[in-house]
Amino acid sequence: MAEMIKLFVNGVEVEVESGKNLIDALKVVGIEIPHFCYHPALGADGNCRMCLVGIEDGRPPLVPACKTPVAPGMKVQLDTGKIKKIQQDMMEFQLINHPIDCPVCDQAGECTLQDYYMTYDAQDSRMTVPVVSKGKKMDFGCGVVHDQERCVLCARCVRFTRLITKTGELGIVNRSDEARVTTFPGRPLNNRYALNVVDLCPVGAMTSQDFRFKQRAWFLTRDKGICHGCSKGCNIFIDHNREKYKDDIIYRFRPRLNEQVNGYFICDEGRLSYHAENEGRLLAARVDGKDCSVDHAVQAARKALGPKILMLVSPECSIEEMIAIKALADAVGTKLSGYSDGYIKAGDGDGWLIQDDKSANRAGLAKLGIDATKETFNGALNSSDAVISFNNDLFIHDTGSEFRQKLEKMKVIAVSTHNNTLTQNAAIAIPVASYSESSGSVINKDGILQHFGRAVQKNTPLADMTQIAGMLGSPIVTESDIASEMKKVLPSLTEVIPEGGLKLTESEAAHVPA
Amino acid sequence: MSVTVKIMERKGSSFLEKIYLFEIFKGMRVTLGHLWRNLCDNSRLYVRHYPEVKPEITPRWRGRHRLTTHEDGTVKCVACFMCQTNCPAKCIMIEAGERMDGKSEKVPVRFDIDLLECIYCGYCVEACPMDAIRMDTGIFSVTSYDRESVFVGIDELLATKGAFDEEEYKKGGA
Repeated sequence: MAEMIKLFVNGVEVEVESGKNLIDALKVVGIEIPHFCYHPALGADGNCRMCLVGIEDGRPPLVPACKTPVAPGMKVQLDTGKIKKIQQDMMEFQLINHPIDCPVCDQAGECTLQDYYMTYDAQDSRMTVPVVSKGKKMDFGCGVVHDQERCVLCARCVRFTRLITKTGELGIVNRSDEARVTTFPGRPLNNRYALNVVDLCPVGAMTSQDFRFKQRAWFLTRDKGICHGCSKGCNIFIDHNREKYKDDIIYRFRPRLNEQVNGYFICDEGRLSYHAENEGRLLAARVDGKDCSVDHAVQAARKALGPKILMLVSPECSIEEMIAIKALADAVGTKLSGYSDGYIKAGDGDGWLIQDDKSANRAGLAKLGIDATKETFNGALNSSDAVISFNNDLFIHDTGSEFRQKLEKMKVIAVSTHNNTLTQNAAIAIPVASYSESSGSVINKDGILQHFGRAVQKNTPLADMTQIAGMLGSPIVTESDIASEMKKVLPSLTEVIPEGGLKLTESEAAHVPA
Repeated sequence: MSVTVKIMERKGSSFLEKIYLFEIFKGMRVTLGHLWRNLCDNSRLYVRHYPEVKPEITPRWRGRHRLTTHEDGTVKCVACFMCQTNCPAKCIMIEAGERMDGKSEKVPVRFDIDLLECIYCGYCVEACPMDAIRMDTGIFSVTSYDRESVFVGIDELLATKGAFDEEEYKKGGA
């Protein structure tokens, strides 16, 4: 915890953390200073002049808040007539050439320019000359659509490509009212984090081709979630909506700040992984190729359970689900494998957010002592006559072909969120809720335990994995049983999992029970 | 404020009134008088010859909706969803798509109004920033034998023309 200092804002004393700038420090105590160009991840640029504040007895008396560190006894003025006039004038400057196409702009509803207009400006335009027209609907590559007319030239996107991705595709060319953000000819955005500029852009200049015109921002319900695209476990917002007469579906993922895990950003692949939650899902249970009720399929699967069935659990499952499945395997008296080498794309990771391991909870497998080696899996497969897979897609990314022949001779039961090669050839297929439709906890590759709640409520909700495990005969299915079991496996988990995730201790991270 | 009290005479207490029979015939005389007059001369009817004679609708009347077009016939609506957002009955369902005619960037590919759910409040018309939706068709009776035909789509909304000239409509406060 940093040192606390006292300063005055509009004559009222507030206590803030030292070492921060005025915008960040005062935001914590609920005082907003308007700004366009400043972003905590990109640093202060000081080009928008929107955050100018008065410092009483200061030299100079007027400073940009983003570049001014807090100091003890500082007297900050935010509500004097002079400051209000400056804010209004800055807004007037920003809006001189703004096209005001809010009706067709995807940013409307979450646009800084709209919010600030209502708070700090609220006056009609005094411009009588035609507005400068610039490029609209420009394809910047990577699914980013740019509108130069809406741009306020805060240069957040430019700084993002220079400071964060270090690819530097974007730049501002020309000066004054002809200034615009653009790419170099024939060199569009080309990095795996490009869509973050859409979130960074305070206005509607950068929009996403994927989300374009799909929904208005105010219709979306924003729930917190954890991205299951890889083992990083980035924090996200799941924006979903149930349109009239339709089902609740996800429209986009957005990054959610977690300093411990992903910071302010997520990768494009993870951002677009919401498509997989909406499409290609296994929705109906099947027994021998015929659709049937989930109860019927579970009964059929239950009959097949025995010591000669091999259980296969996915590294995508949450800890809670793994506990229930492990208890089921122990109750049936059979082997449980977490073999899932197909989920690892060697060489794909970049050392920042994108990881080689495309599964969300492989660390959880290790915590529960579930063996995931190929040798044991192969050995167990040879001594079994049936396989039940809990959302483990053995053939994911066209891998696991060496097991195909063996599995063809065996009875395969697939409990799965998605329709895949395994479920298509399975004797029994049982649909389950995916991570956006259920809650659970996952451990990321850095040993950080994070909890996610249920976001999407389908019209006909699918049973979650623990429920299915319970129906199959798992003794540990109730929330309290699972919670006490979790505390046994994870000694550093004493209370509930905190908002930003719980960093498991080193010794625990390496702890693999025999 | 003083209150004026007017005492009403209570009728029906006289002997003739109490035996009812006489009063019934008095009433029947009025009824049969109307019948006789209507039979003799239909044009002197006290009520409107609906549905042959339609009532006169003022431009401010909120009738069935329509979508307006630019002069070249392209739809004015840009699918901003203001009407859908503002609709208290949640009867408007829009789907937006990419616009290719250069008028704007966005266009509704689907624009459905469930007229059975609509409460004809006119909030959609007030919310519209483009004057794209109006309730000036003069259609006040939306009746049908099935539900599907009162679930109107974009084609039907565009096909219906306004019942009033522009000047008259604007006078109504639009």
